[in-house]
Amino acid sequence: MHGSHAPGRRPELRIVAVLVTGLLLWLLSAPLGAQQPRTGGTLTFIVSAEPPSFDAHREVTFALIHPARPHYNLLVKFDPLNYPKVVPDLAESWTISPDGTTYTFKIRRGVRFHDGSVLTSRDIKASYDKIIFPKGDVISVRQGAYTMVAAVEAPDPTTVVFRLKWKSPSFLQDVASPWNWIYKADIIEKDPHWYERNIMGTGPFKFVEYVRGSHWVGVRNEDYWVKGRPYLDGYRAVFIGNAAAQVNAIKSGQALVEFRGFSPPQRDDVVRTLGSGATVQESGWLCNNTVVFNSRHRPFDDARFRKALSLAIDRWGGSTALSQIAFVGPVGGLLRPEGPFATPPAELEKLAGYGRDIAAARAEAKKLLAEAGVPEGFEFNLLNRNVEMPYRYVAVFLIDQWRQIGLKVNHVVKETGPYLADERAGNFDAAVDFNCDFYDDPDLQLVKFLSVELPNGSVNGLNYGGYIDRTLDRLYDEQSRTEDATRRITVVRQYEKRLLDEKVWQIYVLWWKRIIPHSTKLHGYKVGPSHYLEDLQDVWISE
Amino acid sequence: MPRVYRRQRIWLARFVRRYPLGAAAGIAILGLTALAGLANQLAPYDPLANDFGTMFAAPDARHWFGTDAFGRDVLSRVLYGARTALLVGFAASLVGATIGGIVGVAAAYFGGTTDLIIQRLADIMISFPIIILALAIVAILGSGTFNLIAAIALSFVPRIELVVRASALSVRETTYVEAARAIGARHWRIVFRHMVPNVTAPYLVMLTAFLGQAILLEASLSFLGLGVNEPTPAWGLMLSGAAVEFVQRAPWMAVFPGLAITFTVLAFNVLGDSLRDALDPRLRT
Amino acid sequence: MARYLTHRLLLMIPTLLVVAVIIFVLVRVIPGDIVELRLVSGGSFVTASVIEAERARLGLNKPIWRQFVDWMSGLPRFDLGTSMWTAAPIAKEIALRFQLSLQLAIMSTLIAVTLALPLGIAAAVRRGTWVDHVVQILSVAGLATPSFWLGILLLLFLLSNFHWLPPLTFTPLWVNPKANLLQLIWPALAVGYRYSAVTTRMTRSAMLEVLQEDYVRTAWAKGLAQRVIVIRHALRNAMLPVVTVIGLEFAFLIGGLVVTEQVFNLNGIGKLFVDAIARRDYTMIQGLLLLVATVYIVVNFLIELLYVWLDPRVSYG
Repeated sequence: MHGSHAPGRRPELRIVAVLVTGLLLWLLSAPLGAQQPRTGGTLTFIVSAEPPSFDAHREVTFALIHPARPHYNLLVKFDPLNYPKVVPDLAESWTISPDGTTYTFKIRRGVRFHDGSVLTSRDIKASYDKIIFPKGDVISVRQGAYTMVAAVEAPDPTTVVFRLKWKSPSFLQDVASPWNWIYKADIIEKDPHWYERNIMGTGPFKFVEYVRGSHWVGVRNEDYWVKGRPYLDGYRAVFIGNAAAQVNAIKSGQALVEFRGFSPPQRDDVVRTLGSGATVQESGWLCNNTVVFNSRHRPFDDARFRKALSLAIDRWGGSTALSQIAFVGPVGGLLRPEGPFATPPAELEKLAGYGRDIAAARAEAKKLLAEAGVPEGFEFNLLNRNVEMPYRYVAVFLIDQWRQIGLKVNHVVKETGPYLADERAGNFDAAVDFNCDFYDDPDLQLVKFLSVELPNGSVNGLNYGGYIDRTLDRLYDEQSRTEDATRRITVVRQYEKRLLDEKVWQIYVLWWKRIIPHSTKLHGYKVGPSHYLEDLQDVWISE
Repeated sequence: MPRVYRRQRIWLARFVRRYPLGAAAGIAILGLTALAGLANQLAPYDPLANDFGTMFAAPDARHWFGTDAFGRDVLSRVLYGARTALLVGFAASLVGATIGGIVGVAAAYFGGTTDLIIQRLADIMISFPIIILALAIVAILGSGTFNLIAAIALSFVPRIELVVRASALSVRETTYVEAARAIGARHWRIVFRHMVPNVTAPYLVMLTAFLGQAILLEASLSFLGLGVNEPTPAWGLMLSGAAVEFVQRAPWMAVFPGLAITFTVLAFNVLGDSLRDALDPRLRT
Repeated sequence: MARYLTHRLLLMIPTLLVVAVIIFVLVRVIPGDIVELRLVSGGSFVTASVIEAERARLGLNKPIWRQFVDWMSGLPRFDLGTSMWTAAPIAKEIALRFQLSLQLAIMSTLIAVTLALPLGIAAAVRRGTWVDHVVQILSVAGLATPSFWLGILLLLFLLSNFHWLPPLTFTPLWVNPKANLLQLIWPALAVGYRYSAVTTRMTRSAMLEVLQEDYVRTAWAKGLAQRVIVIRHALRNAMLPVVTVIGLEFAFLIGGLVVTEQVFNLNGIGKLFVDAIARRDYTMIQGLLLLVATVYIVVNFLIELLYVWLDPRVSYG
């Protein structure tokens, strides 16, 4: 622009450069329809389930996040537009000690709770103490994720320090957990159960009302600490469980969006009706369906049989077909395809059941069945939960796949309660299972597959297969402590090969795909790989 | 031809003449039963086979009723579904009516405290809508075809019991039952010789009346995900979930099983009405 | 008469007590555990001690008899306990939904009665004519069509023809009558059709029976206008079974619309029941079953009162 002078050398040139670039960008983007965020309007969105209590520290359902998260802030959060980057929320900055065991967060000044009181580091400490060190009859479901924390300290009103017992490479992401809402210390001290039935945070929206079974209303927090936010005057979350009714609500324009994810037919239906009035955003999803084999039952104790079951599944063909009718699709191993730890396709195809030649795989499967002494027409039960999407679709697909190697599968569908009870009690042959989480870290994604009894004597209650595999346990610890990222991935791959190809204790069917069809009136929203990460701070609607 | 059969033939001829609609419904049900029985011969495709090459195919020469989300032939599934519907319908109403009938006769015959206790229990069970009762029983037993039959049958029992008891009560005081008692006949002999024949009419009427109800209940429970399980072909199941979600894209998925249900229940109801009029016009179902 | 009614009223108490006992036992037999459902169903890891702590908090670790005593001791004070799922009082949770269910039941009844009485009477009076046949076909079809199915078709019709659907959330009638009626009229129609089918059939058969009785034939012979005979004599007597059917159907609608409420996304008693079962919310299931049974028993009592009023021949000494 100005000869060979780099703009950075002279301040005035730098300003000119920024202005010119900004102008150019504005000229380029303006005609394309990028609008200025509009302030005002009420966003109506659908929530497909209902929260039990209002306390995120003790609940596990997105049905609480979607209507109630906008009332709160976190210490740090995942960038809603750029997952998995962690950005400031109530903490404006942070430092990590060189040995990785001390995290110091600087807390923003002037943040006020909805009752007008000022937020200090004491509130952060009280909230985290409730999560990590719950007292008495207080329930904290994610306590186990913070075993590395020795203490949380609040040395002055704007500083919070986390002291760790050991170095944990993913601790910052742990703190960005969308469940760790910051509550008011005085209230928690007076009654640690208060937040189960009441709402009082620092978030962009204040609580107005919740009519059970019907709707939840939030209104703009005029004193919100981010200037100019939120854009919306308020929001109305409407609870609709029935899938057809959800689509109808969006088609009729009564609701603009549902933030968990629609199925492909729901999407197509919305698009067909709204036409150019609909925008569809899609993303990989940090959720998947697996099948657990009960290694206590014959012949599921035989790795050859389990491997044959995995080989019989045409994952690539199933992905193409099922992704038209259910919100599943991506073929992947232990870690999310497209995610930072994903196994590249070339490597993935070497695993049992991931090859492109399904005829060859099924021939091998039949050979393995014969070796394991499993006769043609062998019958077993597949336990499933009575949730339509996507469990029913996955099961129908699996039953048909296994039929093609001569196995007869009885579909045992149970309500979620008895389904969980049966899984836990080992009362099944094979069970359709699922995992869902808010970030890709292997620590979180692999923990479920550890031995049912760990070397240190503790019990892995999520290992429904009932197996003991010390190699898996060893590899898990190794990857968890490996600092070098490349080396860590190598260990994770070994873990994956051991689990999915050699021992086949459990198998992955397909990963889920998140599909959000919404009205074009909705702006400032970008779909991410987790439905737990939604907040409405930057969302606006046009009219 | 033995005389007994001739008597029944005459009755049948009179029934057909007096209740042509009922007779037509009877024939329709026979036809349906034949279709269900011959489903494996008639169905053009395997009702379970997924075919991802022909998902959501509209009705045409290859698939008369189109295909569903898994590329399964809807006609084949409707035909096989008739088996499930008739199985659930007949089994549930037969079991329900039989248990209800036995309990009703027992209550009427023994009277006294037995009767009182049975009546109180029946009154209480009746105070819950059938669907609520069935829902609760399914919650206890779990879903699946067999449990579904049990749940529906059990929820019918008190309703049938009340009607049968009322009919049995009217015979109880008749002179010939008293006479039989006086000469010291055994309980079961009195019950079977004198009371059972008299409650046959209400028994049959209730049986037919509840057949249609059972099929409707199956549809409702399957709609809630508490009925027959995939991939078993069943009309109620075919109506639930995907069929509703895809109703604009592939209406045939929902239309044909829906019609099958309506048609079948209609036939059973019409036959039930005619049977009631012919056998026991005082009964109201 | 008064003594009889008092007796009947008092008799309701032991009946309800037995109902309560049965319900309590029934609910405990349902497999599945609310604590697991609530803490584990999200797929996250929860330690056994957390699960135990939650069980203790909900009172599930107390002996069964203790839980029963706790529940029963609240009943005389109309205290049904608190929901294990939401921790809100059961009575409050139910009251929230009862309004909608009650209004829907009343609207459906109005639709059903308006359709059923004229149709049933016309069919009986013109027995064997085309009027009779059309009415019979309509009512038999009404019994054979699943009402939730009808509801789905109705919504599809509204959406494809008017690009409009009923409001998503419930507004009480006195707050905004228009929004209220626009939401509830559709399910009322879907349900009312089946309801009217039942009532029409009963009206027709009851009328037929009465029309054959001697006194009606006599009135006929006396040459009074046909309408007067039918209305004054026959209808009054035929009303007894019809009223019974209307009453029982009405009782059914409070809580029985488990599927229709799903289709129309109505926040009613039926939906609450399905949710409570799915969540294994024991206290809520108990409360709802007790409510449904009470409604039925009360309605039965009211029917008896109506009998007395409608039929002077019925006397209770």
